[in-house]
Amino acid sequence: MSDGPSRGIDRRAFMKSALAIGGASALSACLDRTSDEDVPRGTTETDPSSLPERQHAWNDALARDDAGNPEPVQHRLLLLLDYDGDGAPSDADRRTVADALDALERAYAWRHDGLLSTMAYSPAYFDRFETDLPESVDLPAPTALASFEDPALDTPDAILHLASDHAHVLLAVEQALTGETDALNGVSVDATLTDVFSVAQRRTGFKGDGHPADNQDARGVPTSKPVPDDAPLYMGFKSGYTETQASEDRVTIESGPFAGGTTQHASHMRLNLEQWYEQDDREARVGKMFCPYHAEHDVVEGAGDNLGTDAAMSKAKPAAEAAETDGFVGHSQKMFGLREDGRPLILRRDFDSTDGGHAGLHFVCYQRAISEFVATREAMNGDDLAGDSPLGRRDNNGILQYIDVANRGNYLVPPRSLRALPTPRGDA
Amino acid sequence: MREDDSGPASDASSPPRRVSRRSFLAASATGAITGLAGCSSLNLTSDETGDSSGSENATVADRPDAVYYPTHVDGMLLSGVRKANGYACALTYTMPHAFWLVTGERATRAGPTADDEIHVMPVVWDAETGQRLTDLNPVLRFRDGGRVLTSDAPWPMLAQQMGFHFGDNVALPGGGTYDVTLRVGAPAARHTGALATPDSATFDFSLAYSPKELDAISYRTLDQAGERGAVEPMDMTAVPSAALPKPDALPGRLLGTGTAGDAAVVATVLDDATRFGGDDSDVYLAVSPRTPYNRYPLPMAGLDARVGGTTHDLRETIDGELGHHYGAAIGGDVEDAPVTVSVDVPPQVSRHEGYETAFLDTPRVTLGE
Ligand code: HEM
Repeated sequence: MSDGPSRGIDRRAFMKSALAIGGASALSACLDRTSDEDVPRGTTETDPSSLPERQHAWNDALARDDAGNPEPVQHRLLLLLDYDGDGAPSDADRRTVADALDALERAYAWRHDGLLSTMAYSPAYFDRFETDLPESVDLPAPTALASFEDPALDTPDAILHLASDHAHVLLAVEQALTGETDALNGVSVDATLTDVFSVAQRRTGFKGDGHPADNQDARGVPTSKPVPDDAPLYMGFKSGYTETQASEDRVTIESGPFAGGTTQHASHMRLNLEQWYEQDDREARVGKMFCPYHAEHDVVEGAGDNLGTDAAMSKAKPAAEAAETDGFVGHSQKMFGLREDGRPLILRRDFDSTDGGHAGLHFVCYQRAISEFVATREAMNGDDLAGDSPLGRRDNNGILQYIDVANRGNYLVPPRSLRALPTPRGDA
Repeated sequence: MREDDSGPASDASSPPRRVSRRSFLAASATGAITGLAGCSSLNLTSDETGDSSGSENATVADRPDAVYYPTHVDGMLLSGVRKANGYACALTYTMPHAFWLVTGERATRAGPTADDEIHVMPVVWDAETGQRLTDLNPVLRFRDGGRVLTSDAPWPMLAQQMGFHFGDNVALPGGGTYDVTLRVGAPAARHTGALATPDSATFDFSLAYSPKELDAISYRTLDQAGERGAVEPMDMTAVPSAALPKPDALPGRLLGTGTAGDAAVVATVLDDATRFGGDDSDVYLAVSPRTPYNRYPLPMAGLDARVGGTTHDLRETIDGELGHHYGAAIGGDVEDAPVTVSVDVPPQVSRHEGYETAFLDTPRVTLGE
């Protein structure tokens, strides 16, 4: 997927980041350019219990902004993995996976400037077993989630989400996982993930102030390079305030063999930044991202660093009222009504990408049950609003106009102790 | 078919090619659709070719707050017509263009950028009734071989010659042949009568264009630019008319016609409301706001109607007979009561030049007094 143009027809050269290219030469190029190759080592050898049992427990390991919101981890790698064996996995393979993943945490500290990860498994993976997943796990196969979208439905067996503020860490980790190196940050690596899995696809990306502006050589971005220098995402706004995210507790599975785990959705969407920046104006962008109130009252400064910990969403009218009186609704506004105890149901850890040579976003999020993601996405679709107001299905309907969903996949993130080739009953 | 390929429309002795293609289209009558099978682009207009350099983005300095003649009109080309799930879709295109997006009560100009190669203008209609569908928000994927180069969701758009269509400027790597998949999802408005209501439909096109061909698209400046009025609808042989029925051609009992801002508003009452979700004792009030001169629908507006002390929310509907309108099933009758129609939200449809200053306010009009 991380391929640039295959033919010489593009008007401009597509500049790929080292991470998007991948491989040993990209790693050395990346190291040549960096002055921060010193990355904190993991503490699992001396203190194995220093890692949280919840794989998705990243928040305590993240940097914070001035308002106290967690900062996004800057570089990301998603490896979509196919299990090479037939039928139920063997214990030997399970050990290989466990060792290969353990090595990563011996090598790097569980921190944003070290390495954070989740290893997750798809419904297709669990189909290989005679027994089904327990009721306590809600993990349907992925489907299209709007009548107007036509995504490819991803069915790898597993997906490994790797995150670090250092691109070279992700490249080095990939080398270790694929057996290209047997030492990582001075720690020896004895097991190779790709002895057991094949990499079906690698997806890469970035998030955080300045990264989108540095990655404007991609289709979908006008050559005027309109993305603001300090924007953390292509669409120009900060996302993921403390109160606009579910807590890690809220997304954690509470009972059954996978208690302490969560579910993950991973979609890929192409972005139309010409429409967003060259056709719409700032007022429309603020209104369509947040709500008409924010646009009319100039609530959002720049990327939204002034919005505290809740994006000031309590100012927004109910989406149905905005649809009928303002003629357009904001993206967040449509989902505000789903909040429970003041916070959404899903924990977003999405990031931007130039995969496929096009500006895009990998929407990775975590929630207790996939149905909670689906309910959130249905609210974002605003079907009921479009059917009974001036809104179109996509037009003036939040940010639907600007995104084309290319892929969707659903996964179970087991608790850490079950992250190596789990059985549906969590008994291996 | 490319400009210089041989085909049914070009032979050495034929008059200038635009005219010949035009007459080919006209001559093939029912063949308009089938006759296109082997051709990738056909001109739909008979205007003279002119120098269009830069001027397709000019505007008149003193624009009235009403429908007015634009500075110019352009020709367009047809890539093909496809049918799926009860809908038909024509993919037409022309050179990049300025247009205006409407967000609430604001219209903002969207000029073409240096990256834009082409202005795509898909038109989707109900295959059986010929009603143009305003409520679908298609998305186009442009492929080069198997790879998706880019996606674009063209805006619901109104233009004086063409009427309602979807339109956008698209950045493509350059002239060539692209596989274009156009997908529409479920309609946003209510579809009634003989209209199809599939949950989705997909149309596959092969779009071949060259910059030379786009440059040669006919272009005509208008002497009346800036004056109130509108260019006549173009006769698009392959695509059904964009105009709504004249007031006296609407079914039901005509309640009256009036104007709200610059829009003409027609209301009619149908005795049988059952196919619009009403019960046996209800009547159906259909309100049809349309552009002056050309009778184009004004979609994506928020309307209500006050009848005998009760306010009814009017629901956007496309009907096989009434066409695009806003309607409500009403208990009892509206026989003696005048109907006051209020525009609460102006039509959110995007506009080409000549429509962008009109229909942005929230007027009211009383009919049947
Ligand atoms: C291009 C894709 C997207 C971008 C750029 C984007 C960006 C944003 C931004 C800027 C906000 C407001 C700030 C904040 O609260 O974080 C927001 C809110 C939110 N977004 Fe998205 N988003 C995208 C897609 C999605 C998708 C696919 C979903 C899930 C269905 C989603 C779910 C949410 C939720 C739940 C909120 C918070 C709503 C609330 O305030 O209660 N977003 N998004």
